Amino acid sequence: MMTGERSLGLLLFEMTFLVLLGPLVTGTIQKIKARIQCRQGAGVLQPYRDLAKLFRKGTVQADTASGLFRLIPVLVLAATVAAGALIPVVRAGPPSFPLGDALLLLGLLALARFLTAVGALDAGGAFGGMGASREMTLAPLVEPVLMMVVFSTAVAAGTTELGALAAQRGTSWVLAWHAADFLGFAAMLVLLPAETGRIPVDNPDTHLELTMLHEGMLLEHSGPGLGCMLLASHTRQIVTLGLVSALFFPIGPANGADAAGLLLGVGAFAAKILVLASYLALVESSYAKLRLFRVPQFLGIGFVCALTALALRIL
Amino acid sequence: MSAETVRTIIDDLGALLLFTMILILAAGQIYRAIYAVAAQSLLIAIAAAVLATATGNTDLWVIAGITLTVKTIVLPWVLHRVVRRMNVRREVEPVIPVAATLALAVMVVVMSFHLSASLGPVNQAITGNALPVGIALTLLGVLVMATGKTALNQMVGLFASENGIFFTAMAVTQGMPLIIEIGVILDVILAVLVMAIMVLRVRSTVDADIAGLDRLKG
Repeated sequence: MMTGERSLGLLLFEMTFLVLLGPLVTGTIQKIKARIQCRQGAGVLQPYRDLAKLFRKGTVQADTASGLFRLIPVLVLAATVAAGALIPVVRAGPPSFPLGDALLLLGLLALARFLTAVGALDAGGAFGGMGASREMTLAPLVEPVLMMVVFSTAVAAGTTELGALAAQRGTSWVLAWHAADFLGFAAMLVLLPAETGRIPVDNPDTHLELTMLHEGMLLEHSGPGLGCMLLASHTRQIVTLGLVSALFFPIGPANGADAAGLLLGVGAFAAKILVLASYLALVESSYAKLRLFRVPQFLGIGFVCALTALALRIL
Repeated sequence: MSAETVRTIIDDLGALLLFTMILILAAGQIYRAIYAVAAQSLLIAIAAAVLATATGNTDLWVIAGITLTVKTIVLPWVLHRVVRRMNVRREVEPVIPVAATLALAVMVVVMSFHLSASLGPVNQAITGNALPVGIALTLLGVLVMATGKTALNQMVGLFASENGIFFTAMAVTQGMPLIIEIGVILDVILAVLVMAIMVLRVRSTVDADIAGLDRLKG
């Protein structure tokens, strides 16, 4: 069988790196957005300050909430961080021990989504229930498409293990893309705003009840719990971006075990994430939030693209 | 360029053509459909240029040039002007919901791949996925025409359908005789111009909505 190329230490390093970098990505997106709107904007480190503030505060909880409610933020954060462990960051190649594949990653993200919705319902607030209902309406439109995009690349590689998929992509660039990759990437570009909770599907900046999906579910959380939920959504965002870059962009060489290889891998990853983050910021600045009933139509573009990509691979 | 490279590039362009077609199908506003169809024509021009370099067929260069000027710039501009002049509602109102159109589109794509796989020997002679993609583009153009309510939508559909035929013809024959290609392009120009004038004239009575043309007047 395949010999492992990524050791446990490296995996732990990658996971920690992702979690620590997550808020920075959010900060960068907000900074780019502010610049596009001719504002100075908060510094890119603002999300870290927000998190630090939240973790210092006490917790207030709704009377109707059950004991599960206090556990929800921790569980959501754990599921998301575990998903982060599956993303190859600095180096391609399968891990040296059985860990899990892209399907497990999508499953963990779905679990985090489900737990968030359960927490929102548990608190008994009207906004939470509405946010949960909307999120659960859109989830079945997003997750199958993500799965199909993963499959359309997995069919060619013969594996769903992300490290192996990334290794198969090698260091080649767009020139070596198969026709199906273009459509798969197009589907991903449509899905990214939905999966990261951004305009045109969701609006992360507002607490206006008409527009919010994800924010609505966080309303009842406070203090460290809210901090966990926010950190989880930062992590979820960078994990999604990492998934895209592992599937479609080249990654550091599998044999560069020394510090230089590691540094190169980190730099390349940062560059890829920056490109995708700028894309998200541009989309957020140039489109309006879609009406909720228009969202399925928007996501339908991604669905058809992903299905066509699969058709190109298989038929 | 080697035959393998050309095949890959044509395949990739085919995928991008399908993507623009999906954008046309899902466009909520007529302007977006027009931009998408212009992008599609640009891709066709690139495909023609690639085939021209590969085969050394100078006719294909001429075709690439004509496609670029006429279909990428002039015709979208005419359509754009018509939309502005008409001052109509810019939202596209399809006969069936967009989600249903997209579902139909998936079926059309899968079917065209299935059909061209069953062609066997014909398919062998053709580079890569050009034939199924071309068939899918043509049929999806017809789908746009069938589901659009306004004459403008049907112009866009005709345009896209013609792009599909063009792509198939180019990829299959490595360049048809120039006279045929020019004839086809002229047909499309005439059709779009006539329809543009018609739409502007007819608008005064039926608001260019095809749904209003379902009763006979005697």
